[in-house]
Amino acid sequence: MLDHTDVNSTDINRRTFLSTNGVGLGAAALSSLMIGDSLADTRTSANDRGLSDLPHFVGRAKRVIFLCMAGGPSHLETFDYKPKLDEMDGQPMPESFTAGQPIAQLRGKPLKVQGHLTKFRKYGESGQLISDFMPWHGKMADDICIIRSMVTEQINHDPAHTFMNTGTGINGRPSMGAWLNYGLGSEAQDLPGFVVLTSVGGRNPQPIASRQWGSGFLPSRFQGVQFNSSGDPVNYVRNPAGVSTSQQRQLVETIQLLDQYRNQRVADPEIATRIAAFEMAFRMQTSVPDLVDMSGESKETLEMYGAKPGDGSYASNCLLARRLAERGVRFIHLYHRGWDHHGGLVNYMNTCCGLTDRPTWALLTDLKQRGMLEDTLIIWGGEFGRTPMFQGKGGAGRDHHIKGFSMWMAGGGIKGGVTYGATDELGYNSVENVVHVRDLHATMLHCVGIDAQRFSVKYQGLDSRLIGVEPARVIEPILS
Amino acid sequence: VRLHHRHPNYRNTSAICCGLLLACVAVLVPAERVAAQVKTRDSARPVRFSTDIRPLLSDRCFQCHGPDEESREAELRLDIAPKAGRVVVPGNPADSEILRRITSDDPDEQMPPPGHGKPLTAAEVDLFRRWITGGGKWSAHWAYEKPVRHETPDVPVEGASNWIDRFIARRLAGEGLSASPAADRVTLIRRASFDLTGLPPTPKEVTAFVQDKSPDAWEKLIDRLLASETHGERMASFWLDLVRYADTVGYHGDQDHNISPYRDWVIDAFIENMPFDRFTAEQLAGDLLPDSSVDQKVASGYNRLLQTTHEGGLQPREYLAIYAADRIRNLSEVWMGATMGCCQCHSHKFDPYTLDDFYSMGAFFADLDETKHFTSGGNSLPTKREPELKVHSRRERLRIRELDRKIADARALVDKLADDDASKQKLATQVASLLKEREAVSMAARLTMISVAIKPRTTRVLPRGNWLDESGPVVRPAVPQFLGQLDAGDQRATRLGLARWLTDAEDGNGLLTSRVFANRFWYLMFGSGIARNLTDFGGQGEPPEYPELLDRLAIDFVDSGWDVRHMLKLIAMSRTYRQTSLLNPELLKRDIENHLFARQSRFRLPAESIRDNALSISGLLVQQVGGPSVKPYQPAGYYRHLNFPTRKYSQHDDSRQWRRGLYVHWQRQFLHPMMKAFDAPRREECTAQRPRSNTPLASLTLLNDPTFVEAARAFAERILRTEAATTDSERLDAAFMLAVSRKPDAFERSVLSRLLVASRKQYQGNEKAARDLISAGIAPTPYGIEVTEHAAWTVVARTLLGLGETTTRN
Repeated sequence: MLDHTDVNSTDINRRTFLSTNGVGLGAAALSSLMIGDSLADTRTSANDRGLSDLPHFVGRAKRVIFLCMAGGPSHLETFDYKPKLDEMDGQPMPESFTAGQPIAQLRGKPLKVQGHLTKFRKYGESGQLISDFMPWHGKMADDICIIRSMVTEQINHDPAHTFMNTGTGINGRPSMGAWLNYGLGSEAQDLPGFVVLTSVGGRNPQPIASRQWGSGFLPSRFQGVQFNSSGDPVNYVRNPAGVSTSQQRQLVETIQLLDQYRNQRVADPEIATRIAAFEMAFRMQTSVPDLVDMSGESKETLEMYGAKPGDGSYASNCLLARRLAERGVRFIHLYHRGWDHHGGLVNYMNTCCGLTDRPTWALLTDLKQRGMLEDTLIIWGGEFGRTPMFQGKGGAGRDHHIKGFSMWMAGGGIKGGVTYGATDELGYNSVENVVHVRDLHATMLHCVGIDAQRFSVKYQGLDSRLIGVEPARVIEPILS
Repeated sequence: VRLHHRHPNYRNTSAICCGLLLACVAVLVPAERVAAQVKTRDSARPVRFSTDIRPLLSDRCFQCHGPDEESREAELRLDIAPKAGRVVVPGNPADSEILRRITSDDPDEQMPPPGHGKPLTAAEVDLFRRWITGGGKWSAHWAYEKPVRHETPDVPVEGASNWIDRFIARRLAGEGLSASPAADRVTLIRRASFDLTGLPPTPKEVTAFVQDKSPDAWEKLIDRLLASETHGERMASFWLDLVRYADTVGYHGDQDHNISPYRDWVIDAFIENMPFDRFTAEQLAGDLLPDSSVDQKVASGYNRLLQTTHEGGLQPREYLAIYAADRIRNLSEVWMGATMGCCQCHSHKFDPYTLDDFYSMGAFFADLDETKHFTSGGNSLPTKREPELKVHSRRERLRIRELDRKIADARALVDKLADDDASKQKLATQVASLLKEREAVSMAARLTMISVAIKPRTTRVLPRGNWLDESGPVVRPAVPQFLGQLDAGDQRATRLGLARWLTDAEDGNGLLTSRVFANRFWYLMFGSGIARNLTDFGGQGEPPEYPELLDRLAIDFVDSGWDVRHMLKLIAMSRTYRQTSLLNPELLKRDIENHLFARQSRFRLPAESIRDNALSISGLLVQQVGGPSVKPYQPAGYYRHLNFPTRKYSQHDDSRQWRRGLYVHWQRQFLHPMMKAFDAPRREECTAQRPRSNTPLASLTLLNDPTFVEAARAFAERILRTEAATTDSERLDAAFMLAVSRKPDAFERSVLSRLLVASRKQYQGNEKAARDLISAGIAPTPYGIEVTEHAAWTVVARTLLGLGETTTRN
């Protein structure tokens, strides 16, 4: 049937096309031609279904919400209480801790201990210790598992985020969300499977590069799509001025129809993907505005989050995260920029916690009330922690710290009300049940039914994994 | 469970079509991509160690039995022939230990061991059996053997052809396949225009070529395209991806830095067809050449293209280590087709590169003055990245010279015209305007980062890549040991020595470099390489399907005097290049990914060409070579995450809006969303082969990015002003011709015609909407065209710009 000329279709081709579409041109109106069954079939492939051998086992969670507190919140003012730190307040930091260690801004400066800049108290039946900056976290103490023994390998923001997202400090590797969508596919019909939301508020908001949600060497359709907090929620999601939705539909359908017609001649498998991509694009033009339209949310819900729709706040993003989760989005990544507290820590903790503490609780609670917490994994934390040592860029603060810090996990597959691991008496080194970022990744993958060791892609000759080549373990004791 | 997904980058959105009629294909595509290998039927083909066995050994065995001593088990290495024992008994598979182990059921004996996760398939075991039967000889890895000049196979090829085709024909005959017929002329001129210039042909060019019945019509076309300035721009895009050219520093605050004159140098180098050995030397060591010229210094900006930072709290020593590693990764991927990045921490697991090699290569760059920016660099836009040089581009210098001559001539003439006041006045005006232009060009000088050699820093091997560890031995500049030596006498070897070694075909690595690039030229003309992996010619890359052809091309490149244009023309003149890209049922079954080149390829245009194509079709494209980067429309707030300083993007409100994609401001952390949607890389690392995705974000861009909406309304205006076309039908033909170089058939015409009529009706009822649509962008709204008519045609134009055919090279 195919001849070697790409250029002009013959009448035979045209007739074949029309008969396979089951409509005759003369009889049918264009619109009915365009919604023929075959085209509709083609359009349903807008999303991937994942790898055929995944999940490796039935995971407890279907999706992940990663709440990244960008800048690096202090573990010593959130979840890691060290009486000794207060005892030694103002004294020189013992060199046994710091000799030969990488230090960021405090390099070459005298190092002295900075006691806790807040109080801690026990919450819930579990009696987890949580600082006074985060009273709303106290209300969910029995739902979250606090890991107090995190370690990472990168001490500057940009590479540390890269490490947290991709398991390596080297650029060009896929981020967690891309891995998950590559492996498991997406369940969202009208939205991308990996969505990123950002908000700002606090000290010195550090830049976040878009490579943090890149797909690295995985196909680019797995990359995160950043939803904007102001203006159009997704780049180019709005019709051009002077074009109505029905006109846009007409345009998209004409492109799809002509592409499909052309494909009879050239039989290019790529065209099916293209038609599906246009379909998803058009659906997003409706689904994305629908997603951000909060008018259907009750007053109680809005108050619970403290969200004013469209304000780009962390609170609004938390509410959006729930709405994205409801719509089947696989990986939802929130960044709140403002946690880089080299100085003025008390002041800025008040700001950051004021903006994030309650909405985080609201998100968890809302999901719980809707029965979605059991299959949603929530992870909270920064790219690193902060030093037990004083830094004073405008009042007491702390420098970057990678040898020990805190994060928490909750929801699908995780035991609530558990404190896991510990740092030493000054909160410097993780010493008990140390959790490396790789272990966090392995545990996250486990929760969604993936064996991290067996989840690899060949790149530059190596079987590349999110967990890299070093040993990584699933943190069994915190699994429910 | 065997879980070994091949690197999916190459073909990342293809659904495997199970029938030729899309209409009856269900396309629910699982994401899994197991690259479709060629299903060879050439069972008589001898099993080759280098391309059949070594890749298997590398993938399954080298991890424990490879070049890395640290991880070697049982003192057995299989990357070289074992010296003694019965690992392989030539001619006797049954007595060979290796075959016993790979076929064993005993978990204690079985290889690869049970937990390895990648067992050998029956077909692979059979390859081992046949290899041992055939003598079981080891040879060096194909990419480390110097290319050999293989004689042209004596096989018949139909029609106009060259020796390339005979290498292809021999293999295809062995496979029981034959080459595809030649493509039609319209397809051919579109293909060659996109491949060689990145732009579509104009309708006039198409007609001229289709009607040119002379026997050398094709050659004339290729020569014309290769001689165009647009060819230099197209080649520059390819090169800038390799060397990771960008307008910003990349890390942390991602501030702008000064480097655009380097980009212009690259464009000019391709326009001049600079020999590749010189092209290499000027970039790596332009500053070290005797009496180096301004252009050579600009070229040495190559060494400054890497990502840098001056983030507060950074440790200079750490970043010096990061920079050194970045340079080695880039140099080895660009020129050597090697992934030396692995050796930052340990000797390579699959290739003979060592930790010492890595740091010895790094020592070549230890003379670069680069600590200054840690202190002088700040959060300004652009930031300071000394050493920098303020330069005029070659073009600007030529223009200044020309203007000076004109001014002098005019003034001389004034002196002669002592009495003619009117003429004098005219000349004076002329001189004034020339002086004004000269002033403007003179002011256009730009800063650019260059290389300046200082006393070399001490370079140590960093154990496990740890920059805090100073216990490693000091190393001097040297090339990887297994590739030979760079003879510098008593002197310390330099970057210039390294550049010469890379292109020295006699005593250096020239032939190997040549093979890396011969493969990339093939990629430029076919969309994939003869060896599929363009940056990894090592044990874990994919061996070429046509090793003899690749060798021959490599030798030809050197013999031609490193003549890039010669290579592109050679490939363009082959029959293989001119084949149709249509899949026939046999190839669909046997070679869907086109490893054998029994047809041409079909793929979506690269990001820059998607833009350039739309601008060209619309008539908006501004063709001007070089200059500072340009800023097209961009969604508001796209840079809001940038800080130090916070960033405000100001689009260019003049003709810079319609320059080629090559010139778009390349913000590493937030690459322009249009470029990103079509897979342009951020240029943090070397990119030899871009992915080709097909995502909803790309569709949204084509539909709604103001650049494309503006192009559509300009395209509509162009159609309506075409004098030869006055009826709807004639206009549709003209529009189709502009977009895809052919006329629509009756069905296509009727579909578009209905869309036109419907749109016309819609806009007649809503003139405000019509006016909104035709006001997209900053181009002046036309005078004398009826608004609703213009809007209706804009809808047609948007459709045409959105078609797969418009954005596909085939």
